[in-house]
Amino acid sequence: MSVKREEVLRAAQLAEIAVPPEDVDQLVADMARIVDYVSQLGSVPDAAVDRFVPGPPKTPLRRDAVDPIPLARPPEATAPEYVDGFFVVPKLGAMGGE
Amino acid sequence: MSAIRDLAAAVADGTRPARSVAAETARALERTGGLNATLDWSAELLEAQAGAVDESATKGSLAGVPVALKDNIVTTDQPVTCGSRLLEGYRSPYNATVVERLRAAGALTAIKTNLDEFAMGSSTEHSAFGRVLHPTDPDRVPGGSSGGSAALVAAGVVPAALGSETGGSVRQPASFCGVVGIKPSYGRVSRFGLVAFGSSLDCISALGATVEDAARVLHVISGADPRDATTLAAGPVELLPPRQDLRGVTIGLPRECFPPDLDPGVRAGCDRAIAALRELGAEVREVSLTHTGYGVATYYVIAPAEASANLARYDGVRYGQRRLDGAVDVRGLYRATRGAGFGAEVKRRIVIGTYVLSSGYYDAYYAKAQRVRGLIAEDYRRLFQDDGVDYLFTPTTPTVAFRAGERTADPVAMYLADIFTVGACLAGLPAVSLPIGRSNGLPVGGQLVGPVMREAELLAVAGALEAIVPGADEVR
Amino acid sequence: MTWETVIGLEVHIQLLTASKMFCGCKTTFGDPPNTNVCPVCLGLPGALPVPNEAAVRHGVRAALALGCTIHPISVFARKNYFYPDLPKGYQISQFDRPLATGGTVWFDSPDRGRTAVSITRLHLEEDAGKSLHDRLPGKTAIDLNRSGIPLAEIVGGPDLRSPGEARAYLGALRDILLYTGVSDCSMEEGSLRVDANLSLRRPDGPLGTKTEVKNMNSFANVERALTVERERQAAILEGGGRVEHQTLLFQAASGEVRPMRSKEESHDYRYFPEPDLPPLILEPDFIEAERDILPELPEAKRTRFEGELGLPPYDAGVLTGTPDIADYFEAVVAAGAAPKAAANWVMGEVLAARTGREELPVAADRLAALIALVDEGVVSLQAAKQVFAELIHDHSAPRVVAERLGLVQVADVEALTEWVEEVLAAHPGEVQRYRNGEQKLLGFFVGQVMKRSRGKADPKGVQPVLRKRLTAS
Repeated sequence: MSVKREEVLRAAQLAEIAVPPEDVDQLVADMARIVDYVSQLGSVPDAAVDRFVPGPPKTPLRRDAVDPIPLARPPEATAPEYVDGFFVVPKLGAMGGE
Repeated sequence: MSAIRDLAAAVADGTRPARSVAAETARALERTGGLNATLDWSAELLEAQAGAVDESATKGSLAGVPVALKDNIVTTDQPVTCGSRLLEGYRSPYNATVVERLRAAGALTAIKTNLDEFAMGSSTEHSAFGRVLHPTDPDRVPGGSSGGSAALVAAGVVPAALGSETGGSVRQPASFCGVVGIKPSYGRVSRFGLVAFGSSLDCISALGATVEDAARVLHVISGADPRDATTLAAGPVELLPPRQDLRGVTIGLPRECFPPDLDPGVRAGCDRAIAALRELGAEVREVSLTHTGYGVATYYVIAPAEASANLARYDGVRYGQRRLDGAVDVRGLYRATRGAGFGAEVKRRIVIGTYVLSSGYYDAYYAKAQRVRGLIAEDYRRLFQDDGVDYLFTPTTPTVAFRAGERTADPVAMYLADIFTVGACLAGLPAVSLPIGRSNGLPVGGQLVGPVMREAELLAVAGALEAIVPGADEVR
Repeated sequence: MTWETVIGLEVHIQLLTASKMFCGCKTTFGDPPNTNVCPVCLGLPGALPVPNEAAVRHGVRAALALGCTIHPISVFARKNYFYPDLPKGYQISQFDRPLATGGTVWFDSPDRGRTAVSITRLHLEEDAGKSLHDRLPGKTAIDLNRSGIPLAEIVGGPDLRSPGEARAYLGALRDILLYTGVSDCSMEEGSLRVDANLSLRRPDGPLGTKTEVKNMNSFANVERALTVERERQAAILEGGGRVEHQTLLFQAASGEVRPMRSKEESHDYRYFPEPDLPPLILEPDFIEAERDILPELPEAKRTRFEGELGLPPYDAGVLTGTPDIADYFEAVVAAGAAPKAAANWVMGEVLAARTGREELPVAADRLAALIALVDEGVVSLQAAKQVFAELIHDHSAPRVVAERLGLVQVADVEALTEWVEEVLAAHPGEVQRYRNGEQKLLGFFVGQVMKRSRGKADPKGVQPVLRKRLTAS
């Protein structure tokens, strides 16, 4: 297989996506299929080409002015948990703390 | 040939109140509910929007015209789900730029259409809220990811709709459903308010029953936006009348897009369209887009990579359907929310995207794909700038609409549906798909691709082709 | 066993702009939580960044002040990681094509004299929000007011050789940046943050494994933290062990450094160019405009103060500490005061009277006038200090204040002669001793005259009168 099981699981971890044990095999098989397919790019000779991105050649700069995009409803309205003006999540735990 | 032009004119001069259009549209939506093409619509909202149009003294160019919105374009007055459980019930606190422009022109926009989850898919089978049925054959898919928008237009419920393209997600369903789909140049339409999938590829695009219908919508929504740093410094796409003939126009046929095993119905449709182009006086010749074969692979490295970052914000912290499932810390929150909220295809793409960006693989995959993208763009540039080709003509899709369930087992099989559409997305070029016939009753689509920023001219050519090729005719 | 300490510092400064790096939200500090937010800095679906021109200008100016090369084309990049106060799940920063590279900062090392630190790079990025861990038990509270605030990251090379040098370097860096006006550079207020890397090696040996130290909130604590970390590493190496690459947090209360608890700290940031932002391309005019408005920087000013104004290095160092002090000092000199006198007064009375960062207590021209009074002998130096204290609140001319306080010295020869006669009459014995050769008694007589005149006699005028009377019969 072109992708290792550990690599797939590591990518899922980095992406904060939990993969139930019963789905791991299928995910690894799908990844292998896709990676095998896209690996054909490796054989494309690409000596003198830069990366290409469409769109304008340079980024416009915004004048430094207080001009916020208005919110039709406050952050609280969409927040799953909100107390005293703050978004609330569980403690950091494994993510380490300061 | 434009229902929109006629409708807007009638609303403007008072012969047709927008309210009656709203009511009729609501009835049509009721009637076609079985297609599952919509995720949210409201008769009250349509009525209210129509009322505002009727009451206003000046009428815009889309006065009273219903334009459905793919449900990855944000509005404040309806939920936006992106076809995902994760955003079920989410209400955006701001409107997309394209929505503001449509409403300023008087359009009725209170219809959100079904899509593959987060726009990732080619059949609309990956929506968390059920697949969309093909408007004429319920066992088949309408294409994707903008399947809901294409189906509604094809079913005659609305004269136009917005979709979005990343790899072909408007042209492909347009081709499957027998309607027109226009992808503008990258940067021609503001992405502010389009839920991002592949940021360097995403283009809000227009679907319409005819070229002129879609063009009228594109005209309203296009033009530079200070809120999107990737928009081109240009005004709206000009509306040009269809060309009377194509004398002096050179049309290239890339041989890589006409492989020997092309579906016979698609080939027959293309043959007829090519003959029509010649009849109109165009010089038609075979050309080569050498790197066509690498387009899907290139796309399926770049788009998931960008998506993996774009979808990191869906973490259950500030919005969305949060899940804890016994989680005791933040990481648990993330994993439970994203695990439950994202469907299988989205997860696949996020994992692939993370993989190709990760340390040790970045150069071989992501950096490499960006360079191959340059080769693909160079193929088009050489034809348009050096070789005297004005436009390219190809089939839009290698097949007609396939059956539901036919391609869901193998992700790559699904990806290959995009083989003829990804090129224009990778190169940032404008392209239009229009119906060029039917094969056993199923629509066949052909597409024209043009140089960057030449939407108006491209559409004038498409209009000429449309006028002499009856899209509804059987070609086999 | 001797170990060489190798320290490199990464400094983040908050740029002084009205609005955030990629959106038009306010940057003010201290507003109620989650009130200076918008779709962009909240990371809402569909939002897009647009860069702030002033932030870019500030970055350019800072980089020029640090002697860097500005890259006319630089590229924003996504730094991908999950954290609850990072709303998009990535930070927009710069990676392999930063705004500037290759500068130098000179500072006074406590160990090696005048020393240079190489500035590897300066790049632009956005700040994250704030996570509060103690506000709600068992939970984390998130405020995104700070999310999107413009930052410049300044990375110094591994050129520092002691915790003391680290502290001194930070002082010099801050001085330069204060001159540019791009940031308040205050660790206490959070507008300047420091992450330190430290490793040990044998002199002339290969670089050792470095650790990263974070969470220091003052320059003094940077020195403390690095001192502790150096000791910790030395102890490991002395014991034959190996230093592990890890991140440690300084605990201000205990003065210790504690490793971060998370096991897998190896972040894979998966940097890639930001697809929502085309390259940042700066015209030559844009860059030159920032070069033009750069004031004379501390290094050049010090050299000038030492050379042209003849000040000793210590004075020149203090007076160039902040641009406003330097400007004030020069104004006092321009108003006629001698440089050394002006230096003494500014370093002494002026800085002592000034609390915090407000206006300087006495206008430059008035201080110069006061110094002139001392020069002319109108008031003694002691008296002038009293006058100075009055001048802070009293806006009359210095001479008027001196007269009102009765501090004007008497230089009139007749009045002085009267006091001298009185003193000599009162101390015939000492007069005799003086006339017999004890010349140093002159100081005693001067002191007596000053006492008798209650400090009003001008000591410079007293001496010649005394000598004349004492040598007379």
